[in-house]
Amino acid sequence: MSLNASSRSAPPAMSFSFHRPGSLDAAIAFAREQGDAARFLAGGTDLIIQINRGRVAPRHLISLDGLGLDRIDEAATEYAIGAMVTHDAVVNHPGFQTNLVALAQASAVVGGRQVRNIATVGGNIVNASPAADLVPVLLALDATVDLRGLNGTRSMPLDRFLVERGRTERRPEEILTAVRFDKPPAASATWFLKAGRRKAMEISVICVAAQLVRGGKARIAIGAAASRTVRVPDAEVLVERQGAAAFREAGRIAADAVAPIDDVRASARYRKLLVAALVERALVACAGRIERGEA
Amino acid sequence: MTRQALDLTINGESHQLMVEPHWSLLHVLRRELGMTGTKENCLEAECGVCTVLLDGKAVNSCILLAEQARGRSIVTIEGLGDPEHLHPLQAAFIEHGAVQCGYCIPGMILTAKSFLDERHGRVPSEAEVREALSGTLCRCTGYQKIVDAVIAAARQMNSWPEAARKA
Ligand SMILES: Cc1cc2nc3c(=O)[nH]c(=O)nc-3n(C[C@H](O)[C@H](O)[C@H](O)COP(=O)(O)OP(=O)(O)OC[C@H]3O[C@@H](n4cnc5c(N)ncnc54)[C@H](O)[C@@H]3O)c2cc1C
Ligand code: FES
Ligand code: FES
Repeated sequence: MSLNASSRSAPPAMSFSFHRPGSLDAAIAFAREQGDAARFLAGGTDLIIQINRGRVAPRHLISLDGLGLDRIDEAATEYAIGAMVTHDAVVNHPGFQTNLVALAQASAVVGGRQVRNIATVGGNIVNASPAADLVPVLLALDATVDLRGLNGTRSMPLDRFLVERGRTERRPEEILTAVRFDKPPAASATWFLKAGRRKAMEISVICVAAQLVRGGKARIAIGAAASRTVRVPDAEVLVERQGAAAFREAGRIAADAVAPIDDVRASARYRKLLVAALVERALVACAGRIERGEA
Repeated sequence: MTRQALDLTINGESHQLMVEPHWSLLHVLRRELGMTGTKENCLEAECGVCTVLLDGKAVNSCILLAEQARGRSIVTIEGLGDPEHLHPLQAAFIEHGAVQCGYCIPGMILTAKSFLDERHGRVPSEAEVREALSGTLCRCTGYQKIVDAVIAAARQMNSWPEAARKA
């Protein structure tokens, strides 16, 4: 194989056929038939690059476009974000600007505008990248995922859905249709912080999401610090008991709880320092927003 | 060889094509249609030179399958004004000396257009423009003149009536 510049634009080694099923059930049935040879296509911002790099070689791509999964539904007590909702739509959703602002903050730093305009919430979750920016926020909201398969829909907590880097509880023919979470009470806040090597267009070196409910629960979730996005229950309980006095300690507990890796973007030691600092900062931000009534 | 028929609407014109399922929109524009205003470089959504508008929104055509554009409206730099009738962004880029080698400019202008169109004529801050353009790299200008040009164009487009702005 030649290594000259033009080889970069060569088509992928193996081609695939493109399918546009008329319904979710048709998509599921076809995926079941094809097994490992098929992949669902959402925005494709991850999958197409993986195919072009030769990392995966599906024989069939099953488009999830046009199947009604691109809505954000607001019910009396919960939100349901359809799997095909883009990061851009999350950034601009009026319901995600106050006590759910962490959703908009996280989606706002996924790639550049061109990526956010097409990349989806479902793709971010199913990819199961430990650095997926929206996932810590959804974990901090105790989100539930809906998986539609051959026998209808089953639901499970996102925390259980995520197994490890690149692995979830999803069966090959199952479509993630939506991610749901309860509407938080008025006196509550969320916050998301991301550290990368530069301000924009950067995969997280560490990302942190927190939710605080006045007189109620605390949630802390961390991305890019272990083989999957994790919550830190010990730190959450401490904050629930002791409030602001425990914010710094919660950061320390979180840094001890994670197992980050050394890689080209940051050392494990630096990542732990970031976890401690960002967890404390996210909690302080939440408390401040509740205090000032911005929540 | 399993080419499929695909109708694409590009700059308001319908094109009947036979495409391989794995062809990117960028490939179709440049290789099949000879529309080379859209540039190609990293092919991994990192640099933004391949930016086109899909239903008005900036996307990277290098990682978008042509199939994903079926039934939607595509705008490329060729569809944005001509030498006699420049789009305000094009005029502002020239006026502010925001172009050096020019390679990034089609993507830069379309990224800026989708950003300004979404804001319905509100003039953005410099920080907002820098963030909006962060997925589109320029290796020549140092960005300042590009940012100045986008803000100047926004001011001008802002003074247009609503209908003309959408065009
Ligand atoms: C330049 C660039 C920068 C990026 N920056 C970031 C970043 O900063 N932060 C970040 O988190 N991510 C980033 N990403 C990764 C990616 O864009 C996001 O994770 C995105 O949300 C993926 O969504 P998609 O719709 O493009 O997924 P796709 O590529 O379409 O799908 C990803 C995987 O999930 C499966 N899948 C998708 N939807 C479903 C579904 N509903 N049911 C079952 N399976 C499904 C697909 O089969 C595939 O295996 C970046 C990508 C690029 C190219
Ligand atoms: S060529 Fe598409 S982003 Fe670089
Ligand atoms: S003008 Fe040369 S890359 Fe931007």
